[in-house]
Amino acid sequence: MIFKQFRYEPLAQASYLVGCPRAKEAMIVDPIDNLGSDFYVLEAADLGLTIVGVVETHIHADFVSCARELAEMNGVPHHLHESAKALVRYPFTAFRDGESFTMGGVRLTALHTPGHTPEHTAFLVTDTARSPDPWFVLTGDALFVGDVGRPDLLLGDESMDVMDESARAETLYRSVTEKLFTLPDYVEVYPGHYGGSTCGGVNMSGKAVSTIAFEKQFNLALRQPDARAFAAFVRETAKPFPQNYERIKSYNLGMITKEELKGATV
Amino acid sequence: MPDVQETKILDARGLLCPMPIVKAAKEIKSLGDGDVLKILATDRGAIADFPAWADDTGNELLEWHEEGDGTLVFYVRKVEED
Amino acid sequence: MTPEEVQTAVAAGAVVLDMRPPKPFATEHIPGAVNFQFNRADLADRAEMALPTDVQYVIHAEPAPIAKVAVEIMTKAGFRVLGWLEGGLKQWKEAGFPTAELGLMTVDELHADLDQHRVVDTREGFEYSYGHIPGSQSIVWTEPWSTLEAVEDNPPLAIVCGDQVRSCYVASVMRRAGKDARLVFGGMVDWLERGFPVQKTAKETA
Repeated sequence: MIFKQFRYEPLAQASYLVGCPRAKEAMIVDPIDNLGSDFYVLEAADLGLTIVGVVETHIHADFVSCARELAEMNGVPHHLHESAKALVRYPFTAFRDGESFTMGGVRLTALHTPGHTPEHTAFLVTDTARSPDPWFVLTGDALFVGDVGRPDLLLGDESMDVMDESARAETLYRSVTEKLFTLPDYVEVYPGHYGGSTCGGVNMSGKAVSTIAFEKQFNLALRQPDARAFAAFVRETAKPFPQNYERIKSYNLGMITKEELKGATV
Repeated sequence: MPDVQETKILDARGLLCPMPIVKAAKEIKSLGDGDVLKILATDRGAIADFPAWADDTGNELLEWHEEGDGTLVFYVRKVEED
Repeated sequence: MTPEEVQTAVAAGAVVLDMRPPKPFATEHIPGAVNFQFNRADLADRAEMALPTDVQYVIHAEPAPIAKVAVEIMTKAGFRVLGWLEGGLKQWKEAGFPTAELGLMTVDELHADLDQHRVVDTREGFEYSYGHIPGSQSIVWTEPWSTLEAVEDNPPLAIVCGDQVRSCYVASVMRRAGKDARLVFGGMVDWLERGFPVQKTAKETA
């Protein structure tokens, strides 16, 4: 397996390249426009890998995604969870909970983990050349190191009628405790953001890797006794809203063009 | 992980065959007898290349393994010819 | 460059340098193209070791950002680059031009039919000496095109290297000259992994 984490420091955002050195194929997860499509294309080419797909854990609100552009440039699918159909205004390839993407000996399995957003999905990664069991999980904005994703970036979700912040927080609690914390303890956690990002609360670590066991034990939000206490804790420890998030999310949903977005950026 | 401390690290990640060996050959010239050169590479061909190169040059390939991110790591001990 | 412009350049003697990875190259490429895999770290070094400087090149790499960087690197390295094919293979086919393919085989297939192939090992000489496929012949990838083009192709040629970067380049040069050359995918790494036999060349003692 070939695995690379790309950190974009100004927004404390992490995108990923996951690929197979035998099949010479790779997928890009959560590409950020600040690095740009060319960046990912050249990184993959340097490793002799062909990009076969672009995957997003969810529709982002705090950074401009270049997933659509990257997928189009490479002539490959842009994958989003099926529930995104009700949200976005552009074509994409829908996957379901539990569905897998395979590149040679490497497998990404979708774990639908709503809460931060309704379509949010984490990806469990297995390298069958090493073990039939999963190795790590790309947790997107469901689970961060030391914290969780905020459930209050609601734009675009009207159509799904999931506008209640507390209900969303409780959904997130179930996603993490029932889907992520039931993974083997040794499974590594690679989040979509790290300390400094406004997509989570104040307890986010600057370290962008952890394990399921460590987060079970030391993640403050998830140390709360139940879903309600969790929801209250998340609300109390929230950071200010990400800058310009409504316009960024509008662009990522396909509601405004890049020109309109740029016009709005200070 | 071998029980040795490298003297120098050569980062040959992103290089395609046979460049990791070409660079290693250049790099090891600057080392003394018994020094250990650690080489990081990403091209899969290196798995076949390094044992051959070590054998050819008389240097000793102590160990190699693959890291979690796909990086190939080789430890070569320099053996000065008499 | 448009497909028509590339076609005109090729008719005038330019060589299409296909910088995509070996697998997509083998599947489909512009007829006569030479495969030379792109990367930023050492493309110039490898090109200087192997590619002739007395021809003009047209770059084919996909998607476009790779082609642009490739043109830059190759030009800086002193090669005469006319440009790059805009729109890639898709555009080429839409313009009605034909494509070619390069035969691929796995090490298992080669192992089963070893006596029906002339195996050419394109790695450095010392790699060949250390261990090669029994009966294979050493032709280092940096040999001039005239040497690569002169190899007998009866029985058909099976081209190997460590993985498939050097071998695909050599196979493409041979194919360009009309030779019946196939690329052994996975190369010596796969061959050794299967535990197939290897032969050593005895070291000369001083």
